[in-house]
Amino acid sequence: MADKPYFTDVEFMICLCGRLLEDNKSAFIGYGMPQIAAIMAQHLYTPNLCQVYEYGAIGPECATPFKRNMMADARNSYRAVCWTTMNPLMWCAQGGYIDYGILGAAQVDPWGSINSTFIGGTYRRPKIRFVGSGGGNEVGSFCWKTIYLMNHEKRRFVDKCDFVTTPGYLGGPGEREKAGLPADTGPFQIITSKAVFDFDSPDKRMRLIATREGLSVDDVLAETGIEVHVADKVETLEPPREKELQYLREVVDPDRVVIGRVK
Amino acid sequence: MEVLESGEGQIYFQDPDEVRAWMRDHKDRGFFDKTITEKEAVEKFVDDGDYISYDLSSMVRGPISLEREIVRQKKKDLWLSAKFTFLDTTLLVGGGCVSKIDIGFAGIGKVLIDAIRNEEVHVIDWSNGTLAARHLAGAMGVPFIPVRGLLGSDTFKTSGAKKVTCPFSGKPVALVPAINPDVAIIHVNECDKYGNARIYGPSITPVETALASKKVIITTEKLIDPEEIRTNPGLTTIPYFAVNAVCHVPWGAHPGTVPGFYAYDTEHLNEFFKIKDKDEMKAYLDKFVYGTKDNADYIELVGGEARMQELVENETIKEGYHYGG
Repeated sequence: MADKPYFTDVEFMICLCGRLLEDNKSAFIGYGMPQIAAIMAQHLYTPNLCQVYEYGAIGPECATPFKRNMMADARNSYRAVCWTTMNPLMWCAQGGYIDYGILGAAQVDPWGSINSTFIGGTYRRPKIRFVGSGGGNEVGSFCWKTIYLMNHEKRRFVDKCDFVTTPGYLGGPGEREKAGLPADTGPFQIITSKAVFDFDSPDKRMRLIATREGLSVDDVLAETGIEVHVADKVETLEPPREKELQYLREVVDPDRVVIGRVK
Repeated sequence: MEVLESGEGQIYFQDPDEVRAWMRDHKDRGFFDKTITEKEAVEKFVDDGDYISYDLSSMVRGPISLEREIVRQKKKDLWLSAKFTFLDTTLLVGGGCVSKIDIGFAGIGKVLIDAIRNEEVHVIDWSNGTLAARHLAGAMGVPFIPVRGLLGSDTFKTSGAKKVTCPFSGKPVALVPAINPDVAIIHVNECDKYGNARIYGPSITPVETALASKKVIITTEKLIDPEEIRTNPGLTTIPYFAVNAVCHVPWGAHPGTVPGFYAYDTEHLNEFFKIKDKDEMKAYLDKFVYGTKDNADYIELVGGEARMQELVENETIKEGYHYGG
């Protein structure tokens, strides 16, 4: 039995995501976890990360601490290089200027299509209804590399999403292009609370590439409700670093609005 | 051009020539005083059954005082464009004003979600980007605009988009129809009596929405002299001839924020977020909407000028917004 973790699942995912982003690249950011990851990355690792927000802020250095509802307000837009509006921002994404996208998902299929619209029942009479695409469809369709952040639960990995809000590789290589989506885009990695997957396989089916410390490949596969590839060498994920946790807890999110508390 | 696939969603669509003729006849290019009260503006310009679009959301520089007035006047059967929305849909659905929603982002709360699940409102899922693109096409006076999103998704199927083969690239592309809303409601920082409006800070589609819509109501924090507009025309976001009504409504975005001016009223928002059923929604509306006669009355109820000054002080970030400079 592993030691009791000193960090939350959300902190774990945020730290992995923050380390994945590259300096001098742009990233399309949504509310919550992606914001926190980008703010942390910008402070600790990638000072020239250009965050972009669908409401028209380009390159902000968001004010800290993070506050609940920090979306499109003065704190979110602080010290940007450009304030514009949604259409020009979407042109940037559709036109190829945005390197990374970061999205959350309620369900994911083996080829990385995700659902943020509804689960269970029918579209007209859903059991659980979510907010829908928001800007998610554009993020996942246009950004060069899209990262998903998702709590690792078996029921979230499905052979077919109840609703494909945002498309992944649609069953194989070349399918996105055949559908008319911009070439060479698509999901890049899925960061979960237990593992990381990529799509670097010949058939574009998701592939387990790393597991959380203390979890074996079999442990993770047992909690993944679909058939996935496993990389030849599965890495062990580095847990949150002290400086990351300190920054997250003391500077970015002292109220623990997003990162939560260790129980 | 061959249509390869069609989304099933119902669309609100008008022929661009009909829209042009409307703009010719109903959007006066004359300079005349358009200032009226919100009550008069909603009576005159919002009809039952209208397709309605707002800019930004009730959280940030939203036209939420106009939304309260629409609820107060018990408008019915509205079709909302919920691109980048938050409390707006919840408030208007809670007030019984809505029959259809084009969803970019659905909004929040159990009252809204229950209304969707129980089919009390008919939803048509698009995305924020495609709803913004539809307003752009509407503003441009063209019948549709091509986009490279929606493709390969179920969001395409629920939308009213069409997939065609592009005559230039030979690749599949999605066409989204123009939207020309019946009415737009937009809250701005400053505006003159003719409707020349200034917005400070980023936003969703203020220009597109104003130009595309057949009737445009502006609410403004500050009513400024037309001479001020002419001395700094680069700051004008929306030109006067797109606008039908100008309402001077200080604190019109409360409980949302107007960036650089006043902060969220977090306590009031938390009260709204706690609403979890129709009874609680009714209690909220009874108190804050039906129980107040206009926005000034509402502001008194939520703490008056003293509370508003606190919110001004809470908005510590001022740089980048042109107030006073």
